[in-house]
Amino acid sequence: MKYFIYLLLVLLFLLTGCGNNEEQPLSSLKEVTKQSWSDIEKSATGTTVRLYMWGGDEGINQYIDKWAIPHLKEKYNITLERVPMDTAQILQKLQTEKKANKQDGTIDLIWINGENFKNAKENGLLAGSFTDQLPNFKKFYDTDDPAFTIDFGTPVEGMEAPWGKVQFVFHYNSAKIEDPPSSFSELKGWIKKHPGKFTYPAAADFTGNAFLRHVLYAKADEPSDIYNSPLDEEAISDTAAKMWKYLNNIEPYLWRSGEHYPNSLTELDKLYSQGQVWMTMGYNEARAESLIAQGVFPETTKSFIMEPGSIGNTHFLSIPFNSSNIEGALTTINFMLSPEAQLAKYKPNYWGENTPISLDKLSKEMRKKFKAVDRGDSVLSQEKLEENFLPESEAAYVEWLEEQWFNEVVQQ
Amino acid sequence: MKSYSSKLWIHLTPALLFLILPFFGIITAVRHSIFADEGFTLNFYQELFQSDRFFSSLAFSIRTSIIATALAIMIGLILVRLFHPYLAKLSPRISVWLPMLFPHFVWGYLVILLLAESGLFAQVLSAIGWIDGTNHFPILTRDPYGFGIIITYVWKEVPFVILMLLPVYAAIPTTSYDVVKTLGGNRWDQFKTVEWPHIQPTLIETCLIIFSFTLTAYEVPALIGTTYPEMVSVLSYQWFYGGSWDERPLAFVVMVCVSIVIFMIALTSYLYLNRRRMRAMRGRL
Repeated sequence: MKYFIYLLLVLLFLLTGCGNNEEQPLSSLKEVTKQSWSDIEKSATGTTVRLYMWGGDEGINQYIDKWAIPHLKEKYNITLERVPMDTAQILQKLQTEKKANKQDGTIDLIWINGENFKNAKENGLLAGSFTDQLPNFKKFYDTDDPAFTIDFGTPVEGMEAPWGKVQFVFHYNSAKIEDPPSSFSELKGWIKKHPGKFTYPAAADFTGNAFLRHVLYAKADEPSDIYNSPLDEEAISDTAAKMWKYLNNIEPYLWRSGEHYPNSLTELDKLYSQGQVWMTMGYNEARAESLIAQGVFPETTKSFIMEPGSIGNTHFLSIPFNSSNIEGALTTINFMLSPEAQLAKYKPNYWGENTPISLDKLSKEMRKKFKAVDRGDSVLSQEKLEENFLPESEAAYVEWLEEQWFNEVVQQ
Repeated sequence: MKSYSSKLWIHLTPALLFLILPFFGIITAVRHSIFADEGFTLNFYQELFQSDRFFSSLAFSIRTSIIATALAIMIGLILVRLFHPYLAKLSPRISVWLPMLFPHFVWGYLVILLLAESGLFAQVLSAIGWIDGTNHFPILTRDPYGFGIIITYVWKEVPFVILMLLPVYAAIPTTSYDVVKTLGGNRWDQFKTVEWPHIQPTLIETCLIIFSFTLTAYEVPALIGTTYPEMVSVLSYQWFYGGSWDERPLAFVVMVCVSIVIFMIALTSYLYLNRRRMRAMRGRL
């Protein structure tokens, strides 16, 4: 019996011993960034970086798989692995790993912004501040641009690096519609004239929620009343009432009389491609290009924006708290921010997305290349997009709309 | 006696080991539903029981699950009764079980492809002139009555019902039917006195499995459900993965409540069956 207890104790010590060994902290972000940049790049050589990102857009996936992965391999000998996963689920995975105190995580890079960034930052799921270490960010970007320092109202504090910039646009089939509406009241008139030909995704969907924010901006006295102030339900109650009235007003004339809202943008796109509805929308001014090329959207698809403007945001790359390859992650982010990578992303053949880079900081030759890119007929001109640009509101609005929309519109 | 009980535990070990994970999940869910940052609280339950969204969702889920279960059981039972001698052969049996090979969401997609307003059926019917244009096709998917969800589950669970009932029917001695016939009983008497006592325990068990699955599974209602009313699984998923993490405890509370509902139903049927079994052992069926 004593022998048995002795064995048990030994086993217990062994177990705790192992536990301690595992908990030894890996090189943290702070230690890594103490090194010079060339040392960081050197120790990143030959490693594997696992990038977890939302995988619902074929163009974006192809940009990573066909352009970024081979070029990164060639230039830095880094193997980049793309793992498709919804951002909320990535954060859930990190949260679970944090609770279990798992220090050598499987995620090295995440694609993030908005309320996900807020949740990640507030729950300590990110490695820390790193953007001031990235040579390309310092050289080619306007580091003080509020679009990079504030993400849906949350201060970025160097914890994520700007990867891309998109603006919300509506799409329509120019073969069926001659003049797209130019304001929300015109849209209402159009919807009433063409019952069943318009709908928007439910508020829980990213795009559907952005549509609601446009209505909210439109119903405020000034859009800046919303995006310049934190959510105060009392203060905006008048604006909110106008918004719900507008939405309930158009509801009977929506696709399927508003009894069902598409659960996702994919569902709305499908309705549009089948001609059941005549308009769709999306948070990327150039996304129709690749869909037209694939034959999903009709070739006559064009885009439009309405008064008071079009909301745009920046999306970012960040490093989780328990990345096991911080050097590799930093090198990869720096590469993704480089003019070459941004140019390839800007071209319409894969992703076609706008770049957050400052064109006037580029070399003359590079600037020319950017200017020479033809983004396609379905994309509005850069001037028009910039003139109508509206910044995002605080992340709290997203949650508030998600909940209230259900009470005020769906259950009515 | 002692050796019997220790043997029992040995036999139960694999099952218990297997149950560690789900049990851990349930305990975590319960813990998250009653603890906030400041300690023990029942606020989340209070909040949930004041939510109309939850109750309408629960009512819709229970209604949909009961209809889907009842239809699946009835159709499965009728098919087995009609075809069980034939289904004893391998190839027809495999063809019946074929739908079980596909995951539920594949079946859900199939239902959308076939029954949506722009789906295959609508196109075929309008092409042969039964309906004027695909927009006259009834709305069967993403509808507020749960038709799409019910169709998917019935289609998917009928083979499961057959799988469960076939061995029971195969085990009914044919002589029992002869006894009823000799005593002048009709087909209903045959069913009531011969088949029903045999199949009832399996039928109740199958009912329970299908009902709890339909009530809580996520992918089918997420795919072919509508915005409102929504199934509890979809509601709970939205609260869990929604923008605000403050609603996460509510998602756990929903799942705990649903687990309690299922547990109560399971317990009731277990007690009922057990009582019947005891009576049967005493010979008073």
